[in-house]
Amino acid sequence: METPKDLPKFAVLQLSGCSGCEVSLLNSDEWISNFQLVYMPLVVTSHKIPEDVEVLLVTGGVRTDEDIHNLRKGRSRAKKLIAVGTCALSGGVAQFKDNHIARESFIKASHRLRMPDMLPNAYPLDRFVDVDLYLPGCPPTPELFMTALKDPENAKIASIVCQECGRQKLNDMRPTSITGTRSGVVLPDICLVNQGYVCVGTSTRGGCGALCTRPGHACVGCRGPANPYLNKEPKFVLDNLRRVFARMTDIPAEEIDEALASPWLSLFLGQFTDYTQDQSLPQRTKEKMI
Amino acid sequence: MTTITYPLSRIEGHARVVIDVHDDEVFRADFQAMEMRGFGHYVRGVPAEQITVIVPRICGVCSTAHQVASVKALEDVFDITPPPLAEDIREVLLLGQLIQNQATSLFIFTMPDRANASSLFELSQSETGKAREFSLAQNALKIRKIGTDLISLAGGQFIHPIKTVIGGVTSGIPREKADAMIKTIDELLPVAVDLVDNYWQLSLEMVDRIGTWGDDEPTFYLASTEANNFRLNSKRLRVMCNEERECHTFAPQDYEKYINIEGSDYSYAGISDFQGHIMRANSLARINLTDSFGTPKADAYLKRFGEAYGKPAHAILFFDLCRGIELVFALEKAHQMLEFDLEHGETEVGYMPKDGIGFGLVEAPRGPLIHRYEVENGLIKKADFIIPTVHNMLAIRRALMVAAKRYVSPDGISAELERAVGRVVRAFDPCIACATK
Repeated sequence: METPKDLPKFAVLQLSGCSGCEVSLLNSDEWISNFQLVYMPLVVTSHKIPEDVEVLLVTGGVRTDEDIHNLRKGRSRAKKLIAVGTCALSGGVAQFKDNHIARESFIKASHRLRMPDMLPNAYPLDRFVDVDLYLPGCPPTPELFMTALKDPENAKIASIVCQECGRQKLNDMRPTSITGTRSGVVLPDICLVNQGYVCVGTSTRGGCGALCTRPGHACVGCRGPANPYLNKEPKFVLDNLRRVFARMTDIPAEEIDEALASPWLSLFLGQFTDYTQDQSLPQRTKEKMI
Repeated sequence: MTTITYPLSRIEGHARVVIDVHDDEVFRADFQAMEMRGFGHYVRGVPAEQITVIVPRICGVCSTAHQVASVKALEDVFDITPPPLAEDIREVLLLGQLIQNQATSLFIFTMPDRANASSLFELSQSETGKAREFSLAQNALKIRKIGTDLISLAGGQFIHPIKTVIGGVTSGIPREKADAMIKTIDELLPVAVDLVDNYWQLSLEMVDRIGTWGDDEPTFYLASTEANNFRLNSKRLRVMCNEERECHTFAPQDYEKYINIEGSDYSYAGISDFQGHIMRANSLARINLTDSFGTPKADAYLKRFGEAYGKPAHAILFFDLCRGIELVFALEKAHQMLEFDLEHGETEVGYMPKDGIGFGLVEAPRGPLIHRYEVENGLIKKADFIIPTVHNMLAIRRALMVAAKRYVSPDGISAELERAVGRVVRAFDPCIACATK
């Protein structure tokens, strides 16, 4: 029998995030028998990443000067680096984008004499290092973690959330206005767009098992753009969503535009599509996406 | 002057302890949060009804508590009361979080301290000891998973749950799913009890070895659970002053009259006091303020704890034992609640959004959590998050000072200090992501 020492070294580096990805990983405990866990401060007494790590998962966005340092050091010690979760892929909730009021008040409040400096924004990992595999989701499900760790080359991921949702799209149910975040009772088994909810599952990468939409919560796009919209300008995703609403509803276009620009959707949709605005970032090919 | 810095692992988030020693005297022992989340800034100007999707992301460990507190704060603004069925389902959700959190803290964070291992997984791989006998890691993760499964059942998904909405919950819990969960709890409750007994025994052995439970002066205690009705979906806060029974009760709306929160230049986390006094929240505070749980096994542990250590009890490592008692309680209580019909009946009421100020309170695993929102023109004008870890900051500092003084002597600084620092901080189970919201 293999002793733990023979197993490939596995490490998890957490930058600035919420630990949600780690909590999800702990629910997919199969990796415990496939790897030797050498670094994961959340669960192991460990203060530095050892050499010769086979797989390094990095969660969280780059938010402090220490984050940059740890990320670069981690990269140099790992054969394969997997960017895990929305924050690692887009900067996450802490991405200010063009919200200058929030940025200003944050920077003012974050000044500390004896602490690591906060950067003016939260950045995705591939702004600083090469990433071998991207695992989006807020957080990715335990099943997606296993896919990323076991056999990512042959992973079969649902192209969009609708594929796994199971709600039926109807031709004769055409709402004339947006239902809002939540009001009234969600009808079971019927597509949320037919019910007037701004659900972005039609453009969002699947693989999550439609965890939100099945119980009746509109998709907010945490898995990021589906393959056809990878590396495309925001316009392509938004145009696709506009087409979906034009085809399935009678909601005025201006109302849809307003909803698509709301902070609720910018939490994910805006962040991922905004990625393409920075030309210095590498292209994310579909082969590298889980 | 010598400054010793201890980076911390097996806690949520990035933090360290810094201790200043001159000759053999300890001058300072600080607990420092090393990053700032800053949600109070991000959510300014966000449409009020959307904040419930955003704020669970403050923390992936406590996302359930933040989501429920957020929804309750908006219900307070909109002046609506969810139906009783929804309140019960939220309670199941919060019990799931308590199980998940206490199992994580007990077995993943603090059990390795008791067995001199670097992690639970190392423990399970070692050839010797009780670990293997009890299939410790495997069983601990099974118990933890009951918690995450309960959150999924009542909340839709186990991190950043979605089923709690303004006005209630989106759906009930189907009978067959409730029955399956009851069966799992029936099967695993004895395993949990074994784990807790084992943990208790290992704690006694550790205390024999190190010679202390982490003695410290009494403090005030803060909890929002009731003395005889332990509900996490709570309504008011209760305070125990030095050695007395309850000396204050207050609504979340009045927190500013009692709790003073400030910043500091050596940490990104806030620090609070109770009218100038040091206070403690989290498991020990709740146990000190609980007369009865109303479930047989937890009440037996409560009695055993009181008889062995007195009530109120004050030593730092009692926080860990109390988490074990609460783990057993939450499993029993979830079982009780799932026996009721949580499937049929009104799960939510409609509402009209309006402007105003609202407060949402829940008892999170780390103590009372309050969200306070000001809504103007349908947008969040200001959001405050009153975080239980912040209430423990002064108590953590004082306990670190006690530990530092114990292990710094004319002979030098004992190597045991690093382990002691870890034990003290982990006993409070701080959450850095939340504390720097």
